[in-house]
Amino acid sequence: MSETSDAMPPLVTLRGVSKRFGDVVALDDVTTDLNRHTSTALIGGNGAGKTTLLRILAGVYRPTEGSATFTEGDLTAHRRKIGVMTESTGLHLRLTAWENIRFHARLFGIDDHVARERSEALAIRLGLGAALDRRTEGFSRGMRQKTALMRALVHEPELLLLDEPTAGLDITSARAVRALIESLVDEGRGVMWSTHDLTAANICGRVMVMHNGRLVADGSLEGVLEEHESDHLEDLYLTLTNEATPEFKAGMEAES
Amino acid sequence: MTARRRVVAIAQRELLDFIRDWRTILMMVLIPLLLFPLLFIGLPLVIGGEAQELAATDVNVLIRGEDVPGDLLMALENRSVIVTTAEALDDVTVDDDAIRNGSMHAVMLWNSSGEVYEVHLRHLSTSTLSTDARQRILLSVSEWEVQERERRVADAGLNVTDTLDPVRLDQGSTDLASDREVQGLVLSSFIPLILTMWVVTSAVQPSIDMTAGERERGSMEALLCAPARRWELLAGKWAAVSTIVLVGVMLQLGGLLFALTFLAGPSLLSTPDVGAFAVLLFFVAVLFFSVMVVASELALAIRSKSVKEAGAVLAPVSLAVIIPAVIVQIINLDGVETFWFAVPVVNVLLAMRELLLDRVDPLHTIVWLTTTTMYTGLALWYAQRQFNREDLVLSPS
Repeated sequence: MSETSDAMPPLVTLRGVSKRFGDVVALDDVTTDLNRHTSTALIGGNGAGKTTLLRILAGVYRPTEGSATFTEGDLTAHRRKIGVMTESTGLHLRLTAWENIRFHARLFGIDDHVARERSEALAIRLGLGAALDRRTEGFSRGMRQKTALMRALVHEPELLLLDEPTAGLDITSARAVRALIESLVDEGRGVMWSTHDLTAANICGRVMVMHNGRLVADGSLEGVLEEHESDHLEDLYLTLTNEATPEFKAGMEAES
Repeated sequence: MTARRRVVAIAQRELLDFIRDWRTILMMVLIPLLLFPLLFIGLPLVIGGEAQELAATDVNVLIRGEDVPGDLLMALENRSVIVTTAEALDDVTVDDDAIRNGSMHAVMLWNSSGEVYEVHLRHLSTSTLSTDARQRILLSVSEWEVQERERRVADAGLNVTDTLDPVRLDQGSTDLASDREVQGLVLSSFIPLILTMWVVTSAVQPSIDMTAGERERGSMEALLCAPARRWELLAGKWAAVSTIVLVGVMLQLGGLLFALTFLAGPSLLSTPDVGAFAVLLFFVAVLFFSVMVVASELALAIRSKSVKEAGAVLAPVSLAVIIPAVIVQIINLDGVETFWFAVPVVNVLLAMRELLLDRVDPLHTIVWLTTTTMYTGLALWYAQRQFNREDLVLSPS
């Protein structure tokens, strides 16, 4: 089901992974690979299991059942290869944007001057140049999202895990973040982008659709549409997640 | 990148974040630094001012009875007592009402019976002025009684001094303890308590902020995605909280020494006579205790799902330290049983008390050092277990 467009072995291999929190099944029998230079749109509704899957891929959660195998072996070595942007940004608000980035860079063993150069370059691309040395407590949500994105990129990871990076952003900020992700994909950097936004699929080579903790579709956009005999991703998504209204379903049947 | 550098990076970040808050600076630096100097300047000033004000205030006293000696009345007036005399009454209700409504502060019933004088005082103990009026009457009567006694002895043809003071006790040669040793005893009655309370309470807020606070703000998840092991996170946070606590303790001790050296009058307190080894062990005791407390508080705070929950857990725990602290105050250090030096918290407090008296008992020292190391190890082990919990990051979705 999964696409393997990378000559190198996948960073993570999931086999039959389930994750439960008490009685709640957050992930149910997920099997897939996470490749280094593949861009993936992880699509699903609220509570579909996207964040749980990202946390397992980042090694924050351990599977309740099944196996998550990291190619690098050691979890610490694995984390050096990935950059994670969490949904809540997780910035320290009394610190400046640069101090937030520098802290994470130090954990990755990046020298301060190298981190500064990279941060300044990223800040210019994201339109945050003048704000790099300002405390993040005065930042708008969009500026915080951009800072968190810079922090996830400062160690130049092979693959980025982004948890709803455009959620809650205004149109301009969402566009700036999307443009950066698009350029990262164009550069050949791997991105896994968890989102409700179906347009993400258009800039990613791979689409994963999650529903109720299950991975219900996984592959290239064309491949997934072809496999499920659908013309549009939105139609496919609504069908796969049983969220289509009776009227919509009737229209689909009449059309076919 | 070594683990040590990651731990240092985490501790530095925590400290930078913490000191950016002006309330933290106030709590970490100003309060511990100024606590004792203010106590030594402010408290005597307040107490002295209040006493002066009270002494300068006139009090009204009603004396009921006849043949009240003129020199007794004079002694009362010298103490700012405005005396009103009246005949004795059987019913005291009127006088009691006068005391309660404040028109009189005390009533003295005076009855002469031959050579004996019977005195009965009525006052209201809940009123400061009434209590002070009673005190002034007692002092005046006592002073007059001495004069009366001396007059009677002289009238009987006896030597007043030899008759009334046949045994002479030389006060100056009875105490072997030097003044500075006595200061150590006085300090040992409150320094360990204040330091312990400071360590326990000052660690609460940073412990919560760096654990439950980080979970609530979402920064914990970002941290867990970095290539740092859980024990490194604990070590970094533990180092940061310990630094905050120990800086506070050192400033507090510095403020205390400054106050003892320059502010406290010789009649109040002075620097205690404590040897260098005892001072060193004192700092070791504070250090070990801080390490144990910080590890325990971090472990309890990280278990909590929110800042509110962590506060609800840690506040009663820190208050619970009062119990062993009170127990320590009543333990007699002469012949104290060794097992007390193995009881958590009590052992460090007792050690501090002994050390301020410059008593270094090898057995006691070995027991409190060993047991405190053991408790510290247990606290760190427990904290490590808590930091390894998967649910440090919540909200499954």
